[in-house]
Amino acid sequence: MVLNTSNDIGLFTEFSTDELSNDNSSVLNSVNSTEVTQHLSNSIILTTVNDLHNWARLSSLWPLLYGTSCCFIEFASLLGSRFDFDRFGLVPRSSPRQADLLITAGTITMKMAPAVVRLYEQMPDPKYVIAMGACTITGGMFSTDSYTTLRGVDKLLPVDVYLPGCPPKPEAIIDAVIKLRKKVAQENLADRNQFAPIHRYHTVEHKMTMVNKIHPGSYMQLESRKLPAILENKKNKAAIPSDVKIF
Amino acid sequence: MTPSSIIYQDKINYQGRISNWLKKNSLPNEFLGFDHQGVEILKIQPQDLLSTSLALHSYGFNYLRCQSAYDDSPGGQLVSVYHLVRLSDNADEPEELCMKVFVSRVKPIVPSVYWIWKTADFQERESYDMYGIIYEGHPCLKRILMPEDWVGWPLRKDYITPNFYELQSAY
Repeated sequence: MVLNTSNDIGLFTEFSTDELSNDNSSVLNSVNSTEVTQHLSNSIILTTVNDLHNWARLSSLWPLLYGTSCCFIEFASLLGSRFDFDRFGLVPRSSPRQADLLITAGTITMKMAPAVVRLYEQMPDPKYVIAMGACTITGGMFSTDSYTTLRGVDKLLPVDVYLPGCPPKPEAIIDAVIKLRKKVAQENLADRNQFAPIHRYHTVEHKMTMVNKIHPGSYMQLESRKLPAILENKKNKAAIPSDVKIF
Repeated sequence: MTPSSIIYQDKINYQGRISNWLKKNSLPNEFLGFDHQGVEILKIQPQDLLSTSLALHSYGFNYLRCQSAYDDSPGGQLVSVYHLVRLSDNADEPEELCMKVFVSRVKPIVPSVYWIWKTADFQERESYDMYGIIYEGHPCLKRILMPEDWVGWPLRKDYITPNFYELQSAY
C-alpha cells in the first residue's frame, strides 16, 4: 500500500468523484483516507523524528524578558535561585529575535498594545504565548471601569496557555510552562508551515502619514525651558498646544 | 504655632494665618477652611495664582509636594490643587498649605507654576492629560499617560469611554 503524504488534495479528487462516496474501500486515493494516511505516516515513520523535534523545542523554551506591571515581579522571581526556571531550560532573552516564548506579564493598555504586537511579530516561528495573570486574560481588576486597559491580550495575539492569578505564584507559572510543554509535545512536524506568518491577520491599507519622533531625546533642552514666555513678551497663547480645542 | 492649636483658639469668623498674611499684603484669596489634618485650604483666582505663588515662595514655601486636579461636578468647575510645604532643616512640623484654583469647564486656563516649582512639569502635564486644564507658560504641555493622539479628557465626570474593540468586555 502506497502511503500518500502529499498535500495536493486536487490530485485525489479526480478519482473520488467518479466513485460513490460511501464506497471508499475501492477508491485508491480518496480525500478522506489521505488524512488517515497522513496521520498514519506521522505515527509510523516520523514518530521518532517528531518526538525528537518536539522534545528539543519544549525543553529549551526561551522566554522574552518582558513585563509590564506586577506580574513581572512574580516572573522575575523565577529568575532567581528559589524558583529556578533554568531547570526547565528557560533562559530569559532580551531580544525578541532570540526568544520563542512570550509570557505577557502585566496589564496591557491601549498605549502599550502596539508595542506588544510588534514584539510578538518580531519573534521568529515557532513561538508561543502564555497569557499570565488576570489582566491579560480578561482585563482582570480593570475590566469594570478602565478607559484604557485592554480586556485580554488575546484581542491582539494568539494565546496558547491562559494562566489565571493576580498575580499567579511562581509555582503556578511553572505549572503553566509545564502545560505548554505538554502542548508542544503533541505538535506535528508536517503541520509546521500550515500557518505561515504572512497573511495571518486581516490587514487593511492605512492612510497614516509619517510624523516626527515624539521623544527625540531633547526634552530638557527645549527652547521653551530657557525663559518663560511672559518675560520674552511672547503671547501666552504660544504655550497652548495648537491641536487642543477649547470647548 | 502648630495648625492644630489654631483651631481651638478662635472659632468665630476665623481665617487661616496664611490667608490673613496674604490679605495684608493685598493678595486676594478666599479661606475655605482646614482639612482633616489641619492644613489650610485657600481658594485663589487664576489671575492671582502667579503673584500669590511668588509671595508664598519668598515666604518660604519651597516644596510643591503635589499638584493635582479634580472635577467638581458634572457640568461644574475643574479644580487645580497645589499642596505646598515649607521645608527647612530639622523641622518639627513644617507648615503646609493647600491652594485650589477653580476654573470653568469651557475655558480651563490656569497659569503654570513651573517657573517657581520645577516639580510642576510632569504633574501639570498629568492634570492636562486627565482633565484638559491648560497651563499657560508650561514649557511642554502634552499628554503624559494616555497615548499622544488620544481624544478626550478621561477623568472628567462627563467622559464616555470610546467603544474600541480592545476595550470591549472579554465575554
